Amino acid sequence: MGKKQKVILPPDLPPEISDDEIEVSDEDLQFVKENRDYAGFVSRLDTQSITKHVTRVADVNEDALEAIYEKRLKKKSALQKENEEKNKVHVDPVDALPVKTLDGKLYYRTVAKTSKGEDENEAGEDEKDGDVDKSLVKLTKAEKRAKVKKSRKEAKKLGKEVDQPEEAEQAPQAAVLAEVKEDLTAEEAFESKKCKLAELGIALLSNPEANITSLKEILQIAKDDNPSISKLGLLSLLAVFKDIIPGYRIRLPTEKEQEMKVSKEVKKMRFYESTLLSGYKAYLQRLLAAEKKPLFQQVVVRCICNLLDAVPHFNCRESLLEVVVRNLGSPDDVVRKLCCSTVRSLFTNEGKHGGEATVETVRLIAAHVKANNCQLHPDFIEVLMSLTFDEDLRKPKAAPEVDNKVKYKKFYKRKIPEEPSQQQENKRKMSKKELMSKTREEVAADYKAVSFAPDVEEKRRMQSETLSAVFETYFRVLKQTMLSTAASSEAVTGSNTSASDPHPLLAPCLNGLGKFSHLIDLDYIGDLMNYLKKIAGGGSSYDSSSRKHVEHLTVSERLRCCIVAFKVMRNNLDALNVDLQDFFVQLYNLILEYRPGRDQGDVLVEALKIMLCDDRQHDMQKAAAFVKRLATFSLSICSAEAMAALVTLKNLLMRNVKCRNLLENDAGGGSVSGSISIYHPYATDPNLSGALASVLWELNLLSKHYHPSISTMITSISGMNTANNQVYHAILSPQQAFTDLSLERETFQPKSDIRKLNSKRKRGSESSTLSGIESTSDASIDENEVSKKLTKHFIILRDIKENERLRGELDRTTLSLQLYEEYKKQKKAGEPKAKRKRAKIVD
Amino acid sequence: MRPLDEAETTAVFEKLYKFTGNNLKNVVENPSHEGPDPNPGRYCFRLHKNKVYYVSESLVKRATNIARANLVSLGVCIGKFTHSSKFHLTIQALSLVSANARHKVWLKPTSEMSFLYGNHVLKGGLGRITDTIAPGDGVVVFSMSDIPLGFGVAAKSTQDCRKLDPNGIVVLHQADIGEYLRMEDEL
Repeated sequence: MGKKQKVILPPDLPPEISDDEIEVSDEDLQFVKENRDYAGFVSRLDTQSITKHVTRVADVNEDALEAIYEKRLKKKSALQKENEEKNKVHVDPVDALPVKTLDGKLYYRTVAKTSKGEDENEAGEDEKDGDVDKSLVKLTKAEKRAKVKKSRKEAKKLGKEVDQPEEAEQAPQAAVLAEVKEDLTAEEAFESKKCKLAELGIALLSNPEANITSLKEILQIAKDDNPSISKLGLLSLLAVFKDIIPGYRIRLPTEKEQEMKVSKEVKKMRFYESTLLSGYKAYLQRLLAAEKKPLFQQVVVRCICNLLDAVPHFNCRESLLEVVVRNLGSPDDVVRKLCCSTVRSLFTNEGKHGGEATVETVRLIAAHVKANNCQLHPDFIEVLMSLTFDEDLRKPKAAPEVDNKVKYKKFYKRKIPEEPSQQQENKRKMSKKELMSKTREEVAADYKAVSFAPDVEEKRRMQSETLSAVFETYFRVLKQTMLSTAASSEAVTGSNTSASDPHPLLAPCLNGLGKFSHLIDLDYIGDLMNYLKKIAGGGSSYDSSSRKHVEHLTVSERLRCCIVAFKVMRNNLDALNVDLQDFFVQLYNLILEYRPGRDQGDVLVEALKIMLCDDRQHDMQKAAAFVKRLATFSLSICSAEAMAALVTLKNLLMRNVKCRNLLENDAGGGSVSGSISIYHPYATDPNLSGALASVLWELNLLSKHYHPSISTMITSISGMNTANNQVYHAILSPQQAFTDLSLERETFQPKSDIRKLNSKRKRGSESSTLSGIESTSDASIDENEVSKKLTKHFIILRDIKENERLRGELDRTTLSLQLYEEYKKQKKAGEPKAKRKRAKIVD
Repeated sequence: MRPLDEAETTAVFEKLYKFTGNNLKNVVENPSHEGPDPNPGRYCFRLHKNKVYYVSESLVKRATNIARANLVSLGVCIGKFTHSSKFHLTIQALSLVSANARHKVWLKPTSEMSFLYGNHVLKGGLGRITDTIAPGDGVVVFSMSDIPLGFGVAAKSTQDCRKLDPNGIVVLHQADIGEYLRMEDEL
């Protein structure tokens, strides 16, 4: 800058550059430093006005940056502005030409300036511009802080020198100056602290072993009253710790060890480790204390999450985990998301901590669920889902391990008696052998603790522990749901004002069970199925009182229960083909309760697919009942669900040959329909509905469905009927039918989605088909006929118009007639009154 | 021919309840005929020569015309009382029981014949099984194509069946449709 001023006089207005782009290059500074002579004019500057401007500009911009800092300074700045305004009043209008700074703002010169010489003013202005630049740069570029500070100090020193004579002359300036100074010091303190933080941090990072003691200093800064400073301190400590924490857990030396003579290096190392550890502990204490304050919460949680993410193996992990798990259900979205992602990464990156943290976390979650009686945010359980993914990934690597996991219960039992015997052995060894072997053991243990070599046994143990904790949580949620519904049903007419969603954890819990279903122990499955049955049925619909609490669980939740039950069965019990009769009854009834807007269609479709399509065999009666109900259901439902229902229907019909009797025109009855000779549409049990005695008349209606794909589907279904006798035997092979239908299902899924979206396109396609028909008719029919038809058409149109006109006339005349009659009536009514009046007058 | 007395009724119903569960209601309330008649008839139980018959009411009225000695059978015979006055279901009750069965077992085609010769149902012959069977429940045995073959008593619960070895007995034989040939004279 100085260079510019010297070479070009009067100074060229620099090209219009936005403030952010201006930068003081190092070369410029270098130049100023080298050529002190050129820069000598600085000492003769009108520093007072400069400082004023500087601070003002700086203030303005700082406001934007440092919101909190500003709060404290607000009063001062207000006062200052008042003073300035006072000063401005005295300004001679002639000299008061405004000065335009680089950022385009106008500044009016104040009294102080008028007394100065012309050239000095000019120089002052230039310098001021320069300073403005600098301050701006400082704001935009934090790295240049130090340099700017230096220049600021210089300016201030000069200011002091020049100020003193001025103070005598102009009393009002003194107050302003004091304010400015205060501002400066506060700002400077802030700046200096920031700088100190940065310096300490950098020093620590560059050589942690030498500068480890400066941890305490940073901690001191972090305890600052100013919240922004202490936040900065916490964050910078986070950065430091993330970097310098070693890849092992620090074990402080025992007293015995301390007594032993050690080399200098070891001593140094011990000192370093112990200071690091104590610093870390102090930091954690500070974090935990600050976490309770709402102002700090987000920052602190971010620190903790980052720490846990980066160094999950290090000491004091438990307290970190505690905070993170507690905040999993935090009402603050940001905090919760942070915690969730941290826990997920803990689960997925088990290599960092060898799985121990996973076990602890899952246990903590289980404890929290227990303590809060399952009234928590769904994220609490949803987090556990990421566990599965991880295990699935690792399965191929450690196949035998998985086998053990499946039977983890048994494994557990085997493990327990082993442990004491091991301890006994240890004791025996200790008594027998000398110190040598003992120390060797110690070393081995230390090595084990330090190294991350995956110990298979250990890992298995931890996996099983994790699993048991997970299932404990899941079962607790299920049980709680069941108990609460039971309790609410017992309360009968009691308060119906439970929370909007009384079972927040149920949905993620069911999802998790579905995912983990292959790991559940066989012994538990019986109980699990019982629970699911009760939840799905809401205590099965036999007694009327249990009906009430069915309303507490949504249809989708109950459907999900059915799905989970089937998944569990399929994954574990393929050997034995079990017919889940009760769940079919539930599904049969739930189909009626389904409402397209309220419930989730995809859950229903999944249930249909898993329960009806995938299952290999069905009773004839049951299949017929479902066929009938699905047909009825698809009459009254939107096209996507109807399509799903129809695909299932077709599937059922294809599998169950006897059910095709439903397609015949006369009601089966007799021997076909079994003992029940009449169809009961409202029966709760599919086996007793007597569906075989009815006819699928719904298909006929559905064949006129507005949706083209549904109507084609229907024709294909009823086509099965006509082709019955010929293709009957060919279709009989179930594999073929199944592949057919799986194809059907594949094509169906995306279709239904599209259908939902574009009702417009449907209309378009219909019109296009119409036009297509017309065009084909045009091609085949000669023009005479066309013209005839057209004339006919137009005649009809004209007739219609004529008709309308005539009708309008008729209406008008009748209206006028009515009006006339009314008028007459009124007149008649009016006449006798008038007569009476006249009579009165006569009297 | 006479209606059942109290003890006999409880014996019959308890036995039927083992097979049908809550569907026993349907057995009792089943209308005997359909049609425009506003009063659909009922079925009732009658005892005749130690055998229990499931008869429609109208048939009972008409049967009163026949002397007790001359009456061989009426309606459907569903079981008989033993000399120690225990009630046994016979194979003729199959149609009634299978329509309302709670617990079912489906047999693989290979093991159908074995069952029809009067053997117990082994785990190896099990095609499918309903979920909620407890030991002691009455179980109806079906072929894979849903033809009722007979009935019996569950020896193991569904849960226990999973761990059973293939030769373990799942359902104890009580009656099967093979009896129509084997014991033609007795029925």
